[in-house]
Amino acid sequence: MSFLPRNRSATIGVAIVAALVLFAILGPLLTSHDPYQSDFEHGLAPTLLPVGPNGRFWLGADRLFRDELSRLAVGARISLFIGLTATLIATAIGTLVGVVAGWFEGRLVDTVLMRAVDVGLAFPFLLLVMALGAALDRTTPVTILLTLGLTGWLGTARIVRAKTMQLRNLDFVTASRALGQTTPRIIVRHVLPNIAGPLLIVATVSVAQMILAESVLSYLGGGITPPTPTWGHMLFEGQDYITTSPWIALAPGLAIMASVLGFNLLGEGLRDALDPRKT
Amino acid sequence: MRSIRARLSLLALALVGCSSELPAPIPTAHPGSVTPRRGGSITSASFGNIRTLDPANVGDGLVAQVLEGLFAGLVDYDLDGTIKPDLADHWTTSADGKDLRFVLREGVPFHDGEEVTADDVLRSVERSLHPSSPNPYSSYFASLRGYEDYVSKKTEHLAGVSVEGRYVVTFHLESPDAAFLPLLAMQPLRPVCKSAGTRYVDTWHPCGAGPYKLLPGGWDRGRQITLTRHEGYFRPGLPYLDEVRLVFQVNFNAQRFKFVAGDLDILRDFLAPDLLKFQADPRWKGHGEYEIDKQIGGISMNTEMPPFDNIEIRRAVSSAINRDQVRLIRAANMRAADRPVPPGVEGYDPTFQGQTYDYAAALEHMKRAGFPYDPVTRTGGWPHVIPYLAYSQSLDEYLSQIVQQMLAKIGIRIEIRIVNYGALIAMRGRRHTVPLGAGFWTQDYPEAGSFLEPLFTSRAINEGDSNNWSFYKNPRVDDLVDHAKHELDLDRRKKLYSEAQALICDEAPWAFTHYYRFYAQWQPYVHDYKPHPMWTSDLTRTWVDRAAGPVAARAIFTGDAMAKLFGDGK
Repeated sequence: MSFLPRNRSATIGVAIVAALVLFAILGPLLTSHDPYQSDFEHGLAPTLLPVGPNGRFWLGADRLFRDELSRLAVGARISLFIGLTATLIATAIGTLVGVVAGWFEGRLVDTVLMRAVDVGLAFPFLLLVMALGAALDRTTPVTILLTLGLTGWLGTARIVRAKTMQLRNLDFVTASRALGQTTPRIIVRHVLPNIAGPLLIVATVSVAQMILAESVLSYLGGGITPPTPTWGHMLFEGQDYITTSPWIALAPGLAIMASVLGFNLLGEGLRDALDPRKT
Repeated sequence: MRSIRARLSLLALALVGCSSELPAPIPTAHPGSVTPRRGGSITSASFGNIRTLDPANVGDGLVAQVLEGLFAGLVDYDLDGTIKPDLADHWTTSADGKDLRFVLREGVPFHDGEEVTADDVLRSVERSLHPSSPNPYSSYFASLRGYEDYVSKKTEHLAGVSVEGRYVVTFHLESPDAAFLPLLAMQPLRPVCKSAGTRYVDTWHPCGAGPYKLLPGGWDRGRQITLTRHEGYFRPGLPYLDEVRLVFQVNFNAQRFKFVAGDLDILRDFLAPDLLKFQADPRWKGHGEYEIDKQIGGISMNTEMPPFDNIEIRRAVSSAINRDQVRLIRAANMRAADRPVPPGVEGYDPTFQGQTYDYAAALEHMKRAGFPYDPVTRTGGWPHVIPYLAYSQSLDEYLSQIVQQMLAKIGIRIEIRIVNYGALIAMRGRRHTVPLGAGFWTQDYPEAGSFLEPLFTSRAINEGDSNNWSFYKNPRVDDLVDHAKHELDLDRRKKLYSEAQALICDEAPWAFTHYYRFYAQWQPYVHDYKPHPMWTSDLTRTWVDRAAGPVAARAIFTGDAMAKLFGDGK
């Protein structure tokens, strides 16, 4: 974190991400409302529309007269859980594929893996995710994160392959080989530590992509089944009320924007901090 | 820089502020004038689309209002829901109720100028009911004599329709059928021009005897349809409008903005909050009206699957649903429902008490079912999670969430499964497949039998494509509905329907939740518009008195907001 004082973007990114994590952890404690329970007594205005932000409902009520704040907080937990876990899965698969392909550059295994990546990248990511989401019989946070994780590793694999190809021809790797170290050992001890920096940057930006993908999936109806609150579906639920009760869509919309911005800024900050030309 | 910032702020305000405030309606050009004016056009829109324009293939709900303009029938529904002669001058029913004899008006021309005769009626009926026609309503006319032989191609002609001379046609029934006249007032058997031939072909250009005709090129598929006045229409002086236009596949938000801008004259597809706003605005209030409730909604419980094979569990569900709260999901369209037949439909009995919300009774029913639930400790109840099938991004998706909350309070836990509409229809019609799910039904004709027969009789059960989604079987209900169908005396028929409904409400194959009714809003320059109880709208007598000139800018942006936003050119 020593790079923070010198990097404004990263500072903002860390602040947003930290706020997000805090909100996800503490948010449900801020309100006594059950995020799954409609309050027909207090959540309904005399106009028969959901109540706006007030002392009881800090962010207003949603279209089923539930507390928007507590649902947003539960949504934050789900978004972060899915974003982080899917990124972890995608990064692990991408790293494995990228290192193997890069190490065995030009051989059959590299050709097969990279053509598979090319085929995968030819599909728009969101379209692929939506198709898989639609094909699933039941959608839960676990199925969504698996869908995202198992489809989101392609870009990572390409980057890792390129870095591995660079590394395998460097002197210290050649020296290790000459000293009789096995390939797995070289990869674990010398290659992986040297690609950790770029990998961290890619993963940070990937979290934002995963959160966005989950939101898009939920917005389009292919995400987690109601009444579980997800930001994307909350956004969908609020769009019909945008002219009368804008808070219903505004709150999840801003949350999605802030989280994507936060992780992207953090990724950018990390990139600058780990760039040898800038240090 | 300051100027750009100010303009951006104003733009943001305009987007949120102006759109949330309804503009004033566009006034009529000659206030106080009640004399209908000839000319002009009416444009409305829908989020839906139509695929065919043939009475022999009435495939979707939206097409009915278009067919109503194109095709006149022997009889039709009036604006108050009564059946009146249309192409027929009058009709008589035989003493035994088996023969209905129609005498046609003379000299009524089709759109192509040919006269409508009794032979055309016979040809149109045979064309529509022929097994080669994709007529989804064909089986509704099974009470016609010789129907089975005709649809199984044993006979070349339908014995149940005979022609006497040029203007008399008689329908012969196997047994009296109270629903036959309402069915005849529907659109599938309406006379079509000779160009339609004797068998259905999907390339035929629609031609009937209705108040409007379709000119070549008038239907831009998927985009819009324009109907033009039929100058030879048999009611003198009608219709008043030169053209009627229906634009397809326009989302609700776009319709709302087009309507207030004056690009649409009638609005029917509302977002829930918009409708509340129109109804609350005194400037718009006098220019809107509800259609009759045509839909029943509820929770369908599969009586062949546990736990809903237990009548006490079904009663518990029915008692646990607070219908006054459920209707608040879409307060301007939904009314609390306690029975299968909506008000306004023949067979609705206002003195009859249907299903009611009673939490204590719901807990008692759970106890009697053998699954007592303690709301204090939240223990007991049905031990398994029950899947609830609803379809994606629909009213039912929200309804299911409210139902989930209400049933949790009596110890029934449900897990919502969202599928697309096609999958929902396919799955719930299959036996032993869906234990619990959204139930909804729209009338085919405004009579109790149109709800009770398909939803609650054992005849509507089959292995893979049942309309009776709860697979409810009660021989007494079958009997009552059957008797009512053949009972021509209205009071006796109502009594039979009431008894059937009492049994259904008590045995609760459905927990009825709401009736759904549409609302139509029109501009003040649209006169004599009244929602039609069957066809959404009947624009035969509607006329417009609109001032010339564009109004869009005035309607959306009040005051000088446009000038403030983009400068005044100086």
